[in-house]
Amino acid sequence: MDFRRIEIIFLIVFFSLDIWLLFSLKNGQQIVSSSNTTTSTVADMRKRDISFGKLDSKSGTAYYLGSRPSSTLANNVSHLRNQEVQYDSEDHKLDSSLSNPISITKSNQKEKLNDFLKKESNVLFGTKYKYAPQLSTTSQIVYAQTDQVGELYDKSGRVTFDVENKRVVGYTQTYVDDLMILHEKEATKSEKDVISSLYTNSEIPNNSKITYANLAYAKLTEAKGSTIYIPVWFVTIQNKDSKVNSLKKVNAFTGNIIKSSTTAATTGDEDSD
Amino acid sequence: MKFSRLIVQILLVIAVITSIVLSFYIWTNTARYQAGRNIDVTTTDTDKNKIPIDQVISPTQVIWQDGNDQRLIYNNEENISMSIQKVMKDWKIGEPKQVFKKDGAKYQRMIQQSNAIQLVYPTAISVKTLGYLLDSSNLRRSKDYSFDRIIFTLENKKDEYIYLANDSDYAVYRAKVKDASSEPILKLARKTNIDLKVRLNLLKHGVFTFYTEPIKMRTYSYVMSGKKDSEYTTALFDSNSDDLVTSQNENIYTYNYGETKRLISDHNKGELTFYDYTDTSVPKDKLSFFQRGYNKAVNLQNSVSNLRLYNADWDSKELTYREYVEGFPIFKKSQFGSIRIKFSRNGTTEYFLNKVLEVPVPSNQSATTLKSTTSILKGLEKAGYSPNDIQDIQVGYQRESEADNEDVIDLTPTYYIKIDDHWKTYNDWTNETAEEE
Repeated sequence: MDFRRIEIIFLIVFFSLDIWLLFSLKNGQQIVSSSNTTTSTVADMRKRDISFGKLDSKSGTAYYLGSRPSSTLANNVSHLRNQEVQYDSEDHKLDSSLSNPISITKSNQKEKLNDFLKKESNVLFGTKYKYAPQLSTTSQIVYAQTDQVGELYDKSGRVTFDVENKRVVGYTQTYVDDLMILHEKEATKSEKDVISSLYTNSEIPNNSKITYANLAYAKLTEAKGSTIYIPVWFVTIQNKDSKVNSLKKVNAFTGNIIKSSTTAATTGDEDSD
Repeated sequence: MKFSRLIVQILLVIAVITSIVLSFYIWTNTARYQAGRNIDVTTTDTDKNKIPIDQVISPTQVIWQDGNDQRLIYNNEENISMSIQKVMKDWKIGEPKQVFKKDGAKYQRMIQQSNAIQLVYPTAISVKTLGYLLDSSNLRRSKDYSFDRIIFTLENKKDEYIYLANDSDYAVYRAKVKDASSEPILKLARKTNIDLKVRLNLLKHGVFTFYTEPIKMRTYSYVMSGKKDSEYTTALFDSNSDDLVTSQNENIYTYNYGETKRLISDHNKGELTFYDYTDTSVPKDKLSFFQRGYNKAVNLQNSVSNLRLYNADWDSKELTYREYVEGFPIFKKSQFGSIRIKFSRNGTTEYFLNKVLEVPVPSNQSATTLKSTTSILKGLEKAGYSPNDIQDIQVGYQRESEADNEDVIDLTPTYYIKIDDHWKTYNDWTNETAEEE
């Protein structure tokens, strides 16, 4: 009889041990699944009426780049035709007024300007520039210099077309001659990381749309007469009601948000709206 | 009556077996169980920005014997040693077994063999540590041998081993490798743009990398960045600042947190020392030694991508980290590198420099050509130091502050020689220049 009681007590003890073991095993697995925080951020954003396309979660690599001011534009001015040109040797900037302004519409502006850039006598090294919708406004269409390593969203390498009454009347050009790789490549934050971090830092308001997210090089600092560029995520956020755009910038190496007060220092001008 | 007793007995047996199975499952899966916890910790934003452990504990030299000569290779657009390690993560490496020990002649043949790549660590690490870095359970289970070179042959299909070699006792271990191909590694090796002829020579104090011809080295400039003392106290004292007692003696600031923690910051030298009298446990195995050192180092300087483990002294439980530029260490006048961490039963001590390299800047100095290592040794002999006195010889970068702008420094290459436990430049030992004239 006593032996039977012992058996029952053992049964209860082992049964509760099993339950505890099962529980702790399950707990361990829950810890694994709870690590997926970025997915929940994405779901949370959708709930708050923030719309966006598919976010790339793959992180890439990028460099620290450096350049020195060059007078390449000044040396090649003689190649240009049908325009009046002024060269600012301090800022290494070329200002041009076109003899025959180009009429454009919203729909054909990109195509027309791409054609215009193809000819060396229109714009020097024109094929090295690419349309940058995030930097453009209604009165200025910006083309950013592109290199094998990527695009340069900085005032030291761009063509800015001036638009007056739906006509392109002239342009301002700067050019970076020789982009040097200063350090071996380093990992950059993915698009998904950056957007999640912008959201958790309350930089993306409700009821808005992420229209562009683009990784480009932007100026970090100047030292010893050279300009240093780092990869920066440019994220354009549009308010769904007012259709007003705002441009956010995130350092792609560190993931730190570059605050708007430092906008001018980073892209070289005020192009955030 | 009997029947119900049988049921109780059967249930008891089932319950006992289930508990055994469950305990077995939990115990054998501790790695995964803990990995889950680790993932949870590493997803926080601050951790994501930390330099990963396999970048800090990483080989700094890649030496390629291509059939003709042995060359030190580097690519200044891509860290090839990191890329090779990434390739190795997919290899299935078996348990290493000792091939030989204390045989200098055999050792020399091993490290000079043709058609081989070797990854050289600045200091010896251990098999279990490599297992942790490459996420290989076989290596983590293996005996914890020390080694500082990983060697594998490239065009020998019969040789299905990787070799781990230890300079300090001329021991070589080998481990069988499956699912490995040399093609991606050769591809990386061919992409290099720094390529220096070397010869690995055995001298009294160990294996030295000899540059057989004069070497042309780039100079670099960097913007330096430092932190305020308050940023260190927040990171190190992890408690509210009300209990912090500050005292100042000229330009030396001392911060005390009770009797347990103290930070001394020398503003003249830009050097700091942190004492933690609460951390009195000494690491019991090498893996935890390296892990704890790494955690402490990144807590001091979390985003320094150039930081590498430079020296590990298991006997005195001391770790030294230095910043590296393209495979070469940076020396400052201070002896301890960038960070030095010492564990002891009386507490841990951390010595570190405030300023670290932050942003590379195009250098306006031209490349420097250094003499070959053989002529450096001749010069040292002329100055009265025999090759047997030399404990170590390395090409490294010297940190020079620019007078007009202290935040930008120039890094110039030179030979560093360790004699009587002191690192000095060739110029300091001999009063002669290390540059080729």
